[in-house]
Amino acid sequence: MNTMVEVMDKTTGAISSADLAQDRPSAATVGDVTVADPRMTCRDVDVWYGAKQAIKGVSLDIGKNEVLSMIGPSGCGKSTFLRCLNRMNDTIDGCRVTGSIKLDEQDIYDKALDPVPLRAQVGMVFQKPNPFPKSIYENVAYGPRIHGLTNNKAELDELVESSLRKAGLWNEVKDRLDQPGTGLSGGQQQRLCIARTIAVSPEVILMDEPCSALDPIATAIIEELIDELRANYSIAIVTHSMQQAARVSQRTAYFHLGDLIEVGETNQIFTNPQHRLTEDYITGRFG
Amino acid sequence: MSDTAVDKPAGDLMAGHTVRRYDQELAKLRAIILQMGEHVIEQTQAAVAALIQGDEPQAYRVLDREPQIDYLSLDADEEVFRVIARRQPTAVDLRIVLALSKIAGEVERAGDKAARIARQTLELRQQEQDGELLVEPLRVAFQTLDDKACCMFERSVRAVTSFDVTQALVIFEDEPALYAAASNLRDLLGESGDDGLVPRQAITLFHCAQALKHIGTHASNIAEQVIYVALGQDVRYRNREILIETLRHRGY
Repeated sequence: MNTMVEVMDKTTGAISSADLAQDRPSAATVGDVTVADPRMTCRDVDVWYGAKQAIKGVSLDIGKNEVLSMIGPSGCGKSTFLRCLNRMNDTIDGCRVTGSIKLDEQDIYDKALDPVPLRAQVGMVFQKPNPFPKSIYENVAYGPRIHGLTNNKAELDELVESSLRKAGLWNEVKDRLDQPGTGLSGGQQQRLCIARTIAVSPEVILMDEPCSALDPIATAIIEELIDELRANYSIAIVTHSMQQAARVSQRTAYFHLGDLIEVGETNQIFTNPQHRLTEDYITGRFG
Repeated sequence: MSDTAVDKPAGDLMAGHTVRRYDQELAKLRAIILQMGEHVIEQTQAAVAALIQGDEPQAYRVLDREPQIDYLSLDADEEVFRVIARRQPTAVDLRIVLALSKIAGEVERAGDKAARIARQTLELRQQEQDGELLVEPLRVAFQTLDDKACCMFERSVRAVTSFDVTQALVIFEDEPALYAAASNLRDLLGESGDDGLVPRQAITLFHCAQALKHIGTHASNIAEQVIYVALGQDVRYRNREILIETLRHRGY
């Protein structure tokens, strides 16, 4: 598709045409898939579950210190795409990923690359909080310990504290670190999972509907946390909440039936999307 | 995926929500504004008729009816609040709600202008000496300005029914004729000493002329909002000639 987009000069009203296809590796996407300062670079990514193609030639950058939200109806491929970013799909039988996904210029699908340290660099927070059946302390300490990130107990203690602080949970749990993580409230458990992710010094944090099981107050706390984490990490979040995408992200990508239909500044996507499918979806006309 | 899917706008911009109640709420908001618009046209025509014919009862009727428009504007505000609170509109829906809110303000102020003409008419009747107040050229000039302003305003209200960019462009194209009619009337009033008008009467009539011109300006402001909804582009403060040319070039 060769989409001509007309751009109006704000002062004169003059309209010029720009062929977005020149800047778009993806054939179907409206908007600029690239960013000036990318942390992850995905090009022409196809994902197949057996004979069924779940992702069709998606190209998309995730910038440093940005929150990228991925939205779309169920089955559109947004979670599949998210899971490609730290090779979570490797664990699914019959799943095949082609194209290029790079983290800081390193091809993450390089056969020589060990996916275990990759998943520390690109951490994942899931829809349902899933703390280990261990103490709060051990939930956070587990990752650094197996990755050998600290040299002694004092360093580990410090890392656990700083991770819990970054996750906004320290003050609530500092007096009960030895208690089970599963005993916390849903919102606290999700923040514990975020602390666990942070503890292994990731560059990118992937979030798959991280607030869908939380009440509005816990959701607001997580959203505030996402905004703070952006200072140090790149974040890609899949969400079914339009309002959440509008609130937390700087860029938004809209997926539909495996295609990346449109990507752009979140403000633009939610005020003046260029593609009718995007508009129909975010305004509740889809289906 | 069809290439034509990127072509916008298409169909009724306010319809098609999965939650049909949302369609109804937007339709209700627009219906209030269209009703206000109809009242303004009636009020303006009645006020100008009262002015030209020196019809005091007609002027009073215009003033009596003015609160109807004000109350409808309160209803419109209430609907805007409700839709924002309930639906958190985005994209074209957000533009529709914001634009309809601004359009309601424009229509309400246009209604004020009609009432102003009625008030000035009553003032003139109090000042009037024996004989006809408006000589034939002034009557014709007022009628011409009234026709132009009402035509523009009626078209702007019609444009709101379907957020019709073409109708909005015609309103922009009518602006020079509106200004010319207002200018002609102003010139006639400037020379009106010869026709027996005292300066105070001429000034009052000048205010009526200004009010009529402003009704046309409100129509233009409504047309800008129509384009904002339909195309997602804020065209306020843009050079009109370039805007008309570029949008005509795009096939509107």
